[in-house]
Amino acid sequence: MDGQLAKARLGEPNALAALVRAHQRSVYSLALRMLGTPDLAEDLAQEVFMQLNASLHMIESGKHMVFWLRQVTTRRAIDQLRRRSRVEMTAFDEDTQLFSTEDGGDPLLRRHLRLLISELSPPARAVLLLRYQEDLDPMDIARALDMPINTVKSHLKRSLDALRQSIEEHST
Amino acid sequence: MSDDFESQLRAALRPVAPSDDFTPKIMARIAAKRRLARRAWWIPASLAASLLIAIGAQRHVQESRERENGMEARREVVEALRLTSQKLNLAYEVVKSQSGV
Repeated sequence: MDGQLAKARLGEPNALAALVRAHQRSVYSLALRMLGTPDLAEDLAQEVFMQLNASLHMIESGKHMVFWLRQVTTRRAIDQLRRRSRVEMTAFDEDTQLFSTEDGGDPLLRRHLRLLISELSPPARAVLLLRYQEDLDPMDIARALDMPINTVKSHLKRSLDALRQSIEEHST
Repeated sequence: MSDDFESQLRAALRPVAPSDDFTPKIMARIAAKRRLARRAWWIPASLAASLLIAIGAQRHVQESRERENGMEARREVVEALRLTSQKLNLAYEVVKSQSGV
């Protein structure tokens, strides 16, 4: 990946396209689950990659780029959600394919997860996604969101408790 | 139980793909931006070149005018000297004829 990064820095379009293809799922999924609609998510993800292209000179390595992409995507999404009204924030489209169904999975969990994510505050939503979509540990989440580690841990605990409770209430 | 729950959560939150034309759209936007930046580079460059040419031309015109004014002044001085010399010659002739030399 560092080789592609070096070529992209020199302005090679194919190398940049390869980087976009390698990270588009992660960036788009973060944007989609933060914002709730595919159109807004694609717009945001495109803006993030445009910003990456303009910032390639600052990116030191492939690892740094992955961190940078997650950080910029979640921060931009949080800013966008804060600018929108609360009514819009909770309006997650039922038809939107928010979650992976590749291995079937648990449809009940997906339904409650959709409900939970739509109700979480933007920073709490970002914490949950960075933990379980991107598999970051709490320390890296704290760095990406510029948030105290204890706040990250408490967001995670509250989100998981709420999700478990919601599933238990509806399954009894 | 907790591990199982968290692994189910991870499975549900596996990344999903954007539309098929996602990368081509970004590459097209980046190419358009680069074209615009390249064009934008020529605009100030051509303005600067035009300005330099205008300043050079103005200076050239000014120098030509100053050179012409100098030549004109020189011609006038020479003419004045010629007239003075003519009058002095005339006066000398008069003085010489009256003194009978």
